[in-house]
Amino acid sequence: MFEAPIRQPLILGDKKFADVSNEICSPIENKPTKAWWFGFTLSFVCLMALVITLFWTVWTGIGTWGINKSVMWGWDITNFVFWIGIGHAGTLISAILLLFRQKWRLSINRSAEAMTIFAVMCAAIFPLFHMGRVWVGPYWALPLPNAFGSLWVNFNSPLLWDVFAISTYFSVSLLFWYLGLIPDIATIRDRAKTKARKFWYGIFAMGWNGSARTWHRYEVVSLILAGISTPLVLSVHTIVSMDFATSVIPGWHTTIFPPYFVAGAIFSGFGMVLTLLVIARSTMKLENYITIGHLEAMTKIVMLTGSMVGLAYITEFFIAWYSGVEYEQYAFLNRATGPYWWAYATMMFCNLVAPQVFWFKWCRTTPWFIFFMSIIVNIGMWFERFVIIVTSLHRDYLPSSWVMYGPTWVEVGMFVGTMGLFFTFFFLFSKFLPVINMAEVKVILKSKE
Amino acid sequence: MRRKHQYWKGFEELASESSFVEAQKNEFSEGLPLDEAFSGQMSFNSNRRDFLKFFGFSVAAVSLASCNKTPVKYAIPYLVKPENVTPGVPLYYASNLGVYNEGFPIIVKVREGRPIKLEGNDLSDLSGGGLCATGQASILSLYDTNRYKNPQIKSKDVADWNLFDSQITAKLGSIAASGGSIRIITRTNTSLVLKAAISKFIEKYPTAQTVVYDPISYSGMLIANEKSFGRKVIPMYKFDKAEVVVSFGADFLGTWISPVRFSKDYRKLRIPGNEVMSRHIQFESLLSLTGSNADSRVPMRESREGLYLISLYNKLAAKGGAGLIPSATSEELAGGAIARAAEDLWNAKGKSLVVSKSNDTDCQLIVNAINILLGNYGNTIDLDNNLNVSQYSETEFEKFVNDLSEGSVKGVLFVNTNPVYSYHSAKKITDALKKAELVISTANAPDETSGMAGFVAPDAHFLESWDVLEPQAGRFVFSQPTISPVFNTRQAFESLLTWSGNALKPSGDKSGAYEYVKSIAAANVTTNWDQALHDGFYSSGEKPASVPSMNALINDAVAVIESSTKTLPETDLILYQKVGPRDGSWANNPWVHELPDPITKVCYDNYLTISKTEAEKRKLEQGDLVKVSVGGNVIDSLPVLIQPGQARGTIGIALGYGRMVPGAGENDLKNLGKNAFPFVLLMNGTSTYIRTSEIRIEKIGSGYELAQTQSHHSIEGRDIIREATFEEYKKDPFVTNHHKHDLISLWDEYDYSTGHHWGMAIDLNACTGCGACVVSCSIENNVPVVGRDEVRMRREMHWIRIDRYYSFESDKGFLTKEKDIDALTKQNTKAGKPQVHYENVKVVHMPLMCQHCDHAPCETVCPVLATTHSSEGLNQMTYNRCIGTKYCGNNCPYKVRRFNWFRYNDNDQFDYHFNNDLGKMVINPDVTMRTRGVMEKCSFCIQNIQSAKLTAKRENRKLKDGDAKVACARTCPSGAIVFGDLNDPESELSKLYKNERSYHLLEELDTKPKVAYLTKIRNNKSTNTKPHHS
Repeated sequence: MFEAPIRQPLILGDKKFADVSNEICSPIENKPTKAWWFGFTLSFVCLMALVITLFWTVWTGIGTWGINKSVMWGWDITNFVFWIGIGHAGTLISAILLLFRQKWRLSINRSAEAMTIFAVMCAAIFPLFHMGRVWVGPYWALPLPNAFGSLWVNFNSPLLWDVFAISTYFSVSLLFWYLGLIPDIATIRDRAKTKARKFWYGIFAMGWNGSARTWHRYEVVSLILAGISTPLVLSVHTIVSMDFATSVIPGWHTTIFPPYFVAGAIFSGFGMVLTLLVIARSTMKLENYITIGHLEAMTKIVMLTGSMVGLAYITEFFIAWYSGVEYEQYAFLNRATGPYWWAYATMMFCNLVAPQVFWFKWCRTTPWFIFFMSIIVNIGMWFERFVIIVTSLHRDYLPSSWVMYGPTWVEVGMFVGTMGLFFTFFFLFSKFLPVINMAEVKVILKSKE
Repeated sequence: MRRKHQYWKGFEELASESSFVEAQKNEFSEGLPLDEAFSGQMSFNSNRRDFLKFFGFSVAAVSLASCNKTPVKYAIPYLVKPENVTPGVPLYYASNLGVYNEGFPIIVKVREGRPIKLEGNDLSDLSGGGLCATGQASILSLYDTNRYKNPQIKSKDVADWNLFDSQITAKLGSIAASGGSIRIITRTNTSLVLKAAISKFIEKYPTAQTVVYDPISYSGMLIANEKSFGRKVIPMYKFDKAEVVVSFGADFLGTWISPVRFSKDYRKLRIPGNEVMSRHIQFESLLSLTGSNADSRVPMRESREGLYLISLYNKLAAKGGAGLIPSATSEELAGGAIARAAEDLWNAKGKSLVVSKSNDTDCQLIVNAINILLGNYGNTIDLDNNLNVSQYSETEFEKFVNDLSEGSVKGVLFVNTNPVYSYHSAKKITDALKKAELVISTANAPDETSGMAGFVAPDAHFLESWDVLEPQAGRFVFSQPTISPVFNTRQAFESLLTWSGNALKPSGDKSGAYEYVKSIAAANVTTNWDQALHDGFYSSGEKPASVPSMNALINDAVAVIESSTKTLPETDLILYQKVGPRDGSWANNPWVHELPDPITKVCYDNYLTISKTEAEKRKLEQGDLVKVSVGGNVIDSLPVLIQPGQARGTIGIALGYGRMVPGAGENDLKNLGKNAFPFVLLMNGTSTYIRTSEIRIEKIGSGYELAQTQSHHSIEGRDIIREATFEEYKKDPFVTNHHKHDLISLWDEYDYSTGHHWGMAIDLNACTGCGACVVSCSIENNVPVVGRDEVRMRREMHWIRIDRYYSFESDKGFLTKEKDIDALTKQNTKAGKPQVHYENVKVVHMPLMCQHCDHAPCETVCPVLATTHSSEGLNQMTYNRCIGTKYCGNNCPYKVRRFNWFRYNDNDQFDYHFNNDLGKMVINPDVTMRTRGVMEKCSFCIQNIQSAKLTAKRENRKLKDGDAKVACARTCPSGAIVFGDLNDPESELSKLYKNERSYHLLEELDTKPKVAYLTKIRNNKSTNTKPHHS
């Protein structure tokens, strides 16, 4: 095998094939650690907050939230876009980087994909429960055949596009993730020492036997799914952005939104991947698999996409001025200088200014600092969505309807709750499934054997 | 028959033991534990077999139960269908509105025996078809669960009127026998029937006398007219003939005398298409609804009003060559406003009008003198066809209270009056009432006075009443019941007749009251009873207005005014009435409190209004809580509201709050606001609503959030309301509407070539902002009441709202941008200058409902097609289809969509009329009640369009213009809203669409709204139209 002279190997620590299997399977085959229990419990408690707040919302009404006659979307849709954005890194890593033959993705794609799936689940909760009548929502919002003649869904509505975009995205991501898991699940099955373990992993391994035929199929399907996923990286957030872009509200009605949202999504997705992996590599002793090199590569993407998003912010401002439309001009001035200036300032700092530190090598290679920065990025991107949604609505065309908006405990609880959902699933994932794609990592192992 | 057994179960059978034979007779040898089971003692430790039994029974029972249809509650078909009543078809009756003292003709819409909507009677010029917000709301008081259900003796229900009457007659008899005097306290009484009953009562009890008590006094004017012309009346003011109107504080469009009529008349000269447009100048301290409509509004200290009047008189006298009043002062307001007013008035001699709110006799005398000087009597002021609004005399009532305190009055009968609440000294009157032997109240619902009364003989609601009233000399209004009495109540006049031994007895199938009222009408008004009842009013012809000469010399009045205004008081406290709650009689009616105040846009509370300068001086901010004391009277806590337009040095508090009524519901109407009536002062025999001395304001807290429906008050320089001056308009009628956008649409146009195409036009010049449409719409369309907290959350549900914007005068013209206004404010504060721009404000009102856009942004974004476009141009909501994404609401540029955040009916959190069976009787059965989680908005009253179409079809004719009515347009006192068919070129609407002033809101978005607005034109000289945006 050709060995590039200048590149560091992707997997450090002079691993043998058996080491990979042993090390990555070890959390699955051993009792969970105290840290795991602590994290899981905390996440589960947060998840209960979601259960309670959703129950309260459905039982009492959307009136339990802080939204009002002018700002009819608040934290709910902010969180929706936030979570959808988070998901994008997984798809990008697994699909686009696969097509570009970026081998460094192999040790992180599994967890990034898992993150995608959990994030989309969290995201889906918001459009579902922001409906005033969630009990009839899915019935009317899906194009089910009915006897009402022309009364069907409205294909003009971006919300309907969302329904299709997100369900497609979720299905493809889930399939892709599961497909990648099959060889590893088979490995666990083969290593299993108990009957139950053998049985369950056996079922999910779907009869994988490691033959050349299965590997061939695996490679082909992977490539096809990567092909399908690639446009999804662009389309999903494009369509989400159209919820706003196709409207008439100044601050929403902006053609720049699709690329701007996609860049933002990748930015926030990598932010979240970094958050998770910096923790995972140290707590699960995976430093040799998820190396500083990985982190550095991702910080570069964060810096690039952060700057793209920043450029979009500035472009919006320029266009608002250049358009000569007084409502647009006011909307953007109001963002920066109005009552929600602090949200705008947070967004600007976190997304545009802060990631510039990654020009410095130390910043790109110091895990604790990267972790800190990843949190900043997450905060910044949450605020971006808040700024777009709330500051545009709270002061639109007629000053008589200008209002202020603040969340209630129910909305805060829902957000904390989806965090709980996300991390609960992530902890379960790290316990029951290999967080690194063992089969593929073995391919890039520079073994001396 | 017993078979021979080959096998036996046990030795008992073989031996044929008697116990066994006995047991054998039962089907189950051990018997069933039925007794235990039914007495509940048995524990259901069921075995397998029992389980199967229970299971089988349950399944069978559940399946049987589910076969049964849920019984429909309360829907009882007519066994014998009453004549004229067809379920689903409304009946209309002409009747009288019992909201004002004097009588007001209305049309009552009745569905299946339930009155559900009131409208002004458009045949009568007493109403002209309009109705105010309070009048609209008053229908709910019929269905108030708080009403007295039976007569009460010492707060205990007595179901039997005979028992009740016998006790009262005995007491009255003993009082009369002992020579103790009896007083009957009525509101200003224009009812011929009640008058007749009272005279019968006095015949029987000669010691009885009537005393009039009104919460709001016009006695200054009455006395002044008596002094001037020998006639103690309130004249009819003809605003439709007044080309120049100068008002000193009189809120004649909102609360003064007869606002609905005045609005209608005032409007006639406010439409610039006609040759003449009136000029309206308002001098006032607080910003009133009327002031907000004035062409030129001048802030004035109302405590100095007399001086300004003298000055105006002198200026006019100088022009007319009449004798000047030798006055030491010649007060003038900023910019020579008095001189300009004099100029305008003089130019419109005989076609002008000066009115004043002041309840000071001397001020009113000078107003009379000014109007005499201008030759307005006989033209714009009519003393002969006078209004019977008020006959309240403070001196007489004071005398009554004193007599009562001294104990010489033994019996008091309060006929629908509530002086314990609104009298300036509640303590004095409650102490005095304790001395009376007999206190009777005829209150309809519990109030402060009926709480003091040993006997409560509840009066019927006006919709349950027969009556004949005379609101204006020679004009009569007839009242007929539109529903059987909801509770065991009796009209006050019947009670009086019963107690005087003239109890009414039914004759045939006619009630005694009917026959009695008919006889009164025949004797005093007209014998054509059926016609009068059908019309609801009768006019015996208008007398020619005479031109009186003024008897009194005003020099004395001038001397009094000058001596009383020697020093400028530090603060004027002005007590005023709010549009809606008015004098507080309707405290238990949620609609009047959910209606935002037309100026402040505050719902539910009263507050201290204060000018910006004054607030800075006193270091007060909006939402601070203050303790206000005047003399010895204290209001412990009142929120502060900084009111643009308010004169420096003045503060205002609304009357009509702080009612201590035992509420039926635990809702925001309970203990609402603070009572300011104790601040009313009796001076020279009249009540004064202006206090100038011993006013202390002390800050006690902060952070009180007033429930405002609008919190941004400037228009930010946007092209939302177009405005021009009359001069500009005369030069070019298109004045603000030249600029048209060159728009390209991505959408196909709808085809309206056949059928109807509904639209609306709103004349911003006619709209006074009174809010009647808001209440009318809420009633028509079952819009829920949400309460103070939800208004604070900015979730009021009104389908129509009235946007109110201020613009602030400065050296650089009128400021409309928050940034500029704040900068100027800061600059003034820094320089220590008064905030003059906060005082000189212009106000505009803009009613806003769904614009029914042809290219509606809401329609495209709804994922489920719950909001769609009709073939007649309506933007429709399908509630069943709506899943509540609220996307439509976000995407509406006009923000007119309302979301059902909670379930607003049958919910104890919203304990208003939708939460009880009685209150629900007001629900319009033609309009769906919306469930939680759906969006709603103005439908252009589609139920009325549909019914008009059906009527036309049944009558085999085309729909005429005006057949289809919308609730807001129907009630508008000034006719500002016009609804109609754009496909009918002859319709009023089509003509208004072609009017030069017509424009659409946010035209440049190309939503193609179907509501046109007509440019506001002000008849003042200063030009301040802003150029249209680039």
